[in-house]
Amino acid sequence: MSALVELKPRRPRLTAADRLLLAVSIGVPLAGLALFFLYPLATIAARSLSVGGNRLGFGNYLAVLSSPGIAIATWNSLILSLATTAICLVLGFAIAFALQRTRLRGRGLVAVALALPMLAPSLVQGLGILFILGRNGLVHKWTGLPVDAYGFSGLLFSDVLYALPQAVLILEAALRHSDARYFDAAEVMGASRLRQFFDITLPNARFGILSAGFVVFTVTITDFGNAAVIGGNFRVLATEIYAQVSGQMNFAMGAVVGILLLLPTVVAVVIERVATQRQFGGGSESAIPVTPDSLPARDVPLGFLVHGSALTVIAVVATVVFASLVKLWPYNLSMTFKNYNITVAGGYAPLATTLEVSLFAAVAGVVLLFLLAFAMKRLPPKLAKAAYLAAVLPVGVPGMVLGLSYVFAFNLGDNLLGMLYGGSLLIALCNFYHYHSQGFLTMMTGMRTVPPALEEAVSCLGGGLAAVLKDAVLPFIGATAVSVFFFLFMRSMVTLSAVIFLITPNLSVAAVSVMRLDEAGFVSQAAAFSTCIMGTVLGALVVMRLALRRAARGRA
Amino acid sequence: MPQLLKRFLLAATALVACAGSAQAGSITVYSALEEDEIAAYLTAAKKAMPDVQVNVLRLSTGDLGARLLAEANNPQADVVWGFAVTNMMHPDIKKQLAPYAAKGSDTLPAQFKAADKTWFAATGYVGAFCVNTEVLKAKKLPMPTSWKDLTNPVYKGELVMPNPASSGTGYLQVAAILQGMGAEKGWGLLKAIDPNMAQYTTSGSKPCKMARAGEFAIGASLAFVAMQSIEAGYPVQMVIPADLAGYELEASGLLKTAKNKKDAERFLDWTLSGDAAKLYASFKEMTTLPGAPQSAMAKKAGLPADLTKVLYPMDFAKSAKERDGILKTWQASIGR
Repeated sequence: MSALVELKPRRPRLTAADRLLLAVSIGVPLAGLALFFLYPLATIAARSLSVGGNRLGFGNYLAVLSSPGIAIATWNSLILSLATTAICLVLGFAIAFALQRTRLRGRGLVAVALALPMLAPSLVQGLGILFILGRNGLVHKWTGLPVDAYGFSGLLFSDVLYALPQAVLILEAALRHSDARYFDAAEVMGASRLRQFFDITLPNARFGILSAGFVVFTVTITDFGNAAVIGGNFRVLATEIYAQVSGQMNFAMGAVVGILLLLPTVVAVVIERVATQRQFGGGSESAIPVTPDSLPARDVPLGFLVHGSALTVIAVVATVVFASLVKLWPYNLSMTFKNYNITVAGGYAPLATTLEVSLFAAVAGVVLLFLLAFAMKRLPPKLAKAAYLAAVLPVGVPGMVLGLSYVFAFNLGDNLLGMLYGGSLLIALCNFYHYHSQGFLTMMTGMRTVPPALEEAVSCLGGGLAAVLKDAVLPFIGATAVSVFFFLFMRSMVTLSAVIFLITPNLSVAAVSVMRLDEAGFVSQAAAFSTCIMGTVLGALVVMRLALRRAARGRA
Repeated sequence: MPQLLKRFLLAATALVACAGSAQAGSITVYSALEEDEIAAYLTAAKKAMPDVQVNVLRLSTGDLGARLLAEANNPQADVVWGFAVTNMMHPDIKKQLAPYAAKGSDTLPAQFKAADKTWFAATGYVGAFCVNTEVLKAKKLPMPTSWKDLTNPVYKGELVMPNPASSGTGYLQVAAILQGMGAEKGWGLLKAIDPNMAQYTTSGSKPCKMARAGEFAIGASLAFVAMQSIEAGYPVQMVIPADLAGYELEASGLLKTAKNKKDAERFLDWTLSGDAAKLYASFKEMTTLPGAPQSAMAKKAGLPADLTKVLYPMDFAKSAKERDGILKTWQASIGR
């Protein structure tokens, strides 16, 4: 068994075509990362070090670190992110397990509910929580209790809602493939189900758990939207960047906080170390998938947890959809479609642009990520380590910082790179690299379930790299690649914080329309527009799923 | 597969091709004015200058400031239109502006234009309280009329105002209090209100939106948002604080790097024309054009016809210069 005996992987001689394929699958994604992520990030680092004129120094860092309130904001950010990570890992694992390893009823519904926070404009979540848990929200109205969601607890709730689907995305990839033979052996040896879970299931998902924890922690610490809406006086580092950049127009200080927020991503080094270790279980060519079974003692409490989470998400989103259909929330609840008549902000036109941008980001993204993940194992260790770190770094960059870095990097006038500025291609690329880490880690988690022995077998039988890809890798990674595609598509449809710096008078996206309607005071119209975006994305997802199923059937 | 790849590359080229847009007879304008007023002004401007295509990028004051600073090395706009003057005075933005005396700017009082002609302001906005009358009734609170009233402990936990460190509106309120009362008394008042303040919000319109939704009783925000909320039917009353109402000017100016200077100048002239003044009357609570009539909205919301009676004569150069110091003191003594 390849899993138990550490065999040195035999490197079959590569043909010229293989070498080209390998060069492309390594070169293109890495060049993309360098040009559309590392280079813009370097412009931010330069800003953070610039202390007037052409001089460089750490003056800005000292100024930030000695400013009043920064210690509190750092502490708050850390506590909040740790709490969010703990909750998301437990809840996320339960949900991913329920979806992949049990026959719990309503799994489809849970999957759709969990997609909602990823395909809803950030306004929806903020409004929904306030409508329900605000001081004048539904809970207060129904119970008469003094409810105050502003502050740590409300923000924690909001962040969990936001980060949980991203954790589930990765954890599902970790649990998607399994080998029943380990469980059968354990059964024969008399190990309890609980013991099997802790000794087989959990260790096998270690890489996924670490990756998911990393993603949750980082998206929470860099998130500004939730903190601004529901954080109240609970100041965090991401709001600090906003205050410096938008409030005080002080780029240098904002850049420093942006760079400091990258520090937590060094944790990724640990994950990378785990990534290079082999794990037993999962990836074996003769694996017999575990058949999901029913186990009331496990499934009843699990069901409460999973369906409870799904219903919470649905309640938040449904409240906003409802609010878009009434005259004046919360004072006049008579129904109307008036709010759907969007007259300002270019009407519904930006929706079409956004669809185009998002499809491009998702298609290009999934191809690049797949190639990169495939190439990782075939890179020399040192290069692999560097590539790995670059690939997971984007999640540590707040959207606002990324957007500004794109302006610094690409607003260059008439040269080749400068031509991208002001175009939708740059927005698509920005959206992709904004969510690069989540996509990459999901793909890597999925790649680990590909049996190495199978790859070797295919290449021994004379198959080139292309055959390995097609016959050994794709069947195992297909479902995960599809989930990455949908993830990139959904996020690209609604992301706002970076894009806001790349729109032009003639080029705007749907999320900006929502923001504009909200800024102009038309909250109901903003809710209506958000509902239309969610409807469009859900519709597009259904169409794409059907097309995929058709394609799969055609092949079979 | 090659067919698919070809189509994909074609789409990519098309996306790139969208990029280039500047052309003769069109100008690019960056603005922080409100969405609906921009639409109305542009319709009128089109009639006056049918040969010019005016492309407007609308962003909030904070986002627009960041955008202008970020693009400093290769500015994309020809004109900045209706942008908070305190932000316009940021050295890195001001140095992007070219002096231009727009037609009609000679009639503006001196405090509404730059001595070096880099900007002028035709309009402005005023700070105001949004008071939710239903919450007030339910909690049996008195109607406040001034900042001083807000120190009354009955309002504990029912007040919200923008954080001056992250919102221009927050800063204009703090600056007006400090300039009007002097530093010592001003800080005393701000510290006295602080225990009642439930939250300092990130954005300037947020306090009013929270108050109108019934989340809090009183939000210190802007008259424009208050009037818009009343118009929409929320149970809101607008209060211009009797002791000190801060205001901000909406400045416009020409960029040195403007690609279409001639049309940009014509547009700036138009913003001071009689046509424009008529429209300001239907959108603005404050115009600087001599003899411009008061807007119906402002009248309905109870603003006095002569705003100078309630507005403290702000010194914007001073307010921009003292910003760093004031925010430092704010963060050290009140900041949460």
